[in-house]
Amino acid sequence: MPLGNAIAASASALDAQRARIEVAVSNIANAESTRGPDGLPYRRRDVVLQSAPIEPFDGALDRAEAIGVRVNDIVADQAEFRRRYEPSHPDADAEGFVAMPNVDVPEEMVDMLGATRAYQANLTAINLIRDTIQRALELGR
Amino acid sequence: MPQITDTAILAALGRQLNTAVAKQTVAASNLANLDTPGYRTRDVSFDAALDSQLGAMRRTSDRHLGGPPPHEAATEETDGLASRRDGNNVQLDRELLAMTKAQGDFSRAQTALAAKFRLVRYAINEGR
Repeated sequence: MPLGNAIAASASALDAQRARIEVAVSNIANAESTRGPDGLPYRRRDVVLQSAPIEPFDGALDRAEAIGVRVNDIVADQAEFRRRYEPSHPDADAEGFVAMPNVDVPEEMVDMLGATRAYQANLTAINLIRDTIQRALELGR
Repeated sequence: MPQITDTAILAALGRQLNTAVAKQTVAASNLANLDTPGYRTRDVSFDAALDSQLGAMRRTSDRHLGGPPPHEAATEETDGLASRRDGNNVQLDRELLAMTKAQGDFSRAQTALAAKFRLVRYAINEGR
């Protein structure tokens, strides 16, 4: 059913956007974590999104294809750590600088805002598709 | 005398339903990929939409081969939209508008179809 595929595409986007929000939140939460599991400061993480057809045969059959999205990978940002002068910190180096995570809080906030907007848009889309299905069912009355 | 089960009208309304569904599916896909780098906005292609509105080619003789199935609704990339830096050119308002429009098209065709069916039921029930 094509409309079912459309809902599946929108639902996959809800999933992906939720993942984006989760990653942005953990980045903000760890903006000051100087010790990760590997002993290094926390590295900012980024979600890599990839489009994925819901029903791969539809495109080959010349039908309107529902294309969803999925989280392909979550990668660590390899940008340099920030350095902050704080000699009293236990993780400070010989010169008194502490390596802080490479998280930029405003950037994470903007990312989260974008993800929220996209989430809302896809929720609206699901509602519209649901209305269409409802109308289709009313044909049988 | 026109028949109450006017198949041409029923078929046309059915095609309108299909086109609306295809448009909604494509708009939903575009919205889902709002943040996918490199994704290009897709639309139901005009040719396919026209084909489905006019009905596909007819066989005029039983000895003709069937030919390819009618294009239900192929899609193509949309030109003329501004891309963002990641190569994505999906526009939120445009897609939501397309979905709402398609929903309206579907509702209209559905209302007409339902009226048509009501007429048939009325006849079946001998006007009761």
